[in-house]
Amino acid sequence: MRCDEFIPLASDLVEGSLTGASRAEAEAHLSSCAGCRSLVADLSRIADVASTLERRTLPPGNWPALAARLAKEPTWSARPAMSVGPSWTWLAVAAALVAIVGSSLWLVARSFTTTAPHEAASGNGQAPDLVQSIETELALAAEHYEKAISGLEQVASAADSPLDPVVMATLRENLRVIDDAIEESRVALRNEPDSRLAQESLFEAFRRKIGLLQDTIALMNEMRKGDEAGAARIVEGLTKS
Amino acid sequence: MAAFEELYRQHARRLYNLAYRMLGDAADAEDLLQEMFLQAFRKLGSFKGESSLGTWLYRLGMNLCLDRVRSRAAKNGRQTDSLDADDAPVVAATPAPADLVVNRVDLERAIATLPDGCRAAFLLHDVEGFDHREVGEILGISEGTSKSQVHKARLRLRGWLRGRPALAATGTR
Repeated sequence: MRCDEFIPLASDLVEGSLTGASRAEAEAHLSSCAGCRSLVADLSRIADVASTLERRTLPPGNWPALAARLAKEPTWSARPAMSVGPSWTWLAVAAALVAIVGSSLWLVARSFTTTAPHEAASGNGQAPDLVQSIETELALAAEHYEKAISGLEQVASAADSPLDPVVMATLRENLRVIDDAIEESRVALRNEPDSRLAQESLFEAFRRKIGLLQDTIALMNEMRKGDEAGAARIVEGLTKS
Repeated sequence: MAAFEELYRQHARRLYNLAYRMLGDAADAEDLLQEMFLQAFRKLGSFKGESSLGTWLYRLGMNLCLDRVRSRAAKNGRQTDSLDADDAPVVAATPAPADLVVNRVDLERAIATLPDGCRAAFLLHDVEGFDHREVGEILGISEGTSKSQVHKARLRLRGWLRGRPALAATGTR
């Protein structure tokens, strides 16, 4: 492999998405090319630093100003009933659930990506702190998940619920399987805090959980019946932490 | 409204930062953030649950960002690049350099110099942590195009950070 053949593959190598013969050829080239080794190191460093860039704080007056503009819009309850498309309030429930779960996942993800693996493995006494920090984030995420699932169950068990009890039972069973996978990943992560594989397994399980919730939401969109006012109250309960 | 406020609380800061890094101006970013959520409120009925609500929201937001960037460029008589453009930077073979030092301030400056298309993909993937499939959904491009755009962005950033904005790769053979 020549440098001009290697360069287009460099980011795939950095991201770990290069496999099989291509990866073997790329690694063979790297072993004998200092320039391309430097390229990979640089791209990796750029990606690492990019993931730690700080976020500007949201201007405090933004939501009040937006709320004032939204107040002039037709409210969900005042919108004419639609012959097709989702119910506004069920969508609102869905939005809250996805937002809660998604933010939990993001919090945990940032706790991993902003921590250099060598800090955990350096033996400088920081590893227990890192594990504790990750555990704290995971506990927070788990708490949000429980809220979201509990909210779904409340919606599902309400009178004229859009969700069939059999569907809810299936949902619970699927969630239990995913929870087992999450627990296994957490154990692996406790044993090897800097293991990318354990981290990725954990996030894959979280993504599956979110996907399951999204499937439920899609179902809710199709079953546009139920106690909308009650659902709105549940949403308010969910969003109070 | 409570659920919509929760949606705002969860996503607004991230969208504001994306808008700020796309537009390079805090006031413009704040204004655009309001526009994003106003449009989301109006268009919520078109959300069919086929993708996540977050993806739908980021797609709406990034479309508004890119529209604003292109509109501004048109006023200034400047061209913008296409998201589907796959023009990898010209590669020059140079001797292996010393280790690259990357600090956040310089990287922010370098990101601001990126073409709009690959800047959007880079911000979503490397800064915000979306995977290539999600970036593709948000920007309306294929997963492969997302990968090539992010790669192009990294090469350009490397060139800028090494003081050679023209480019970037350093093969020796």
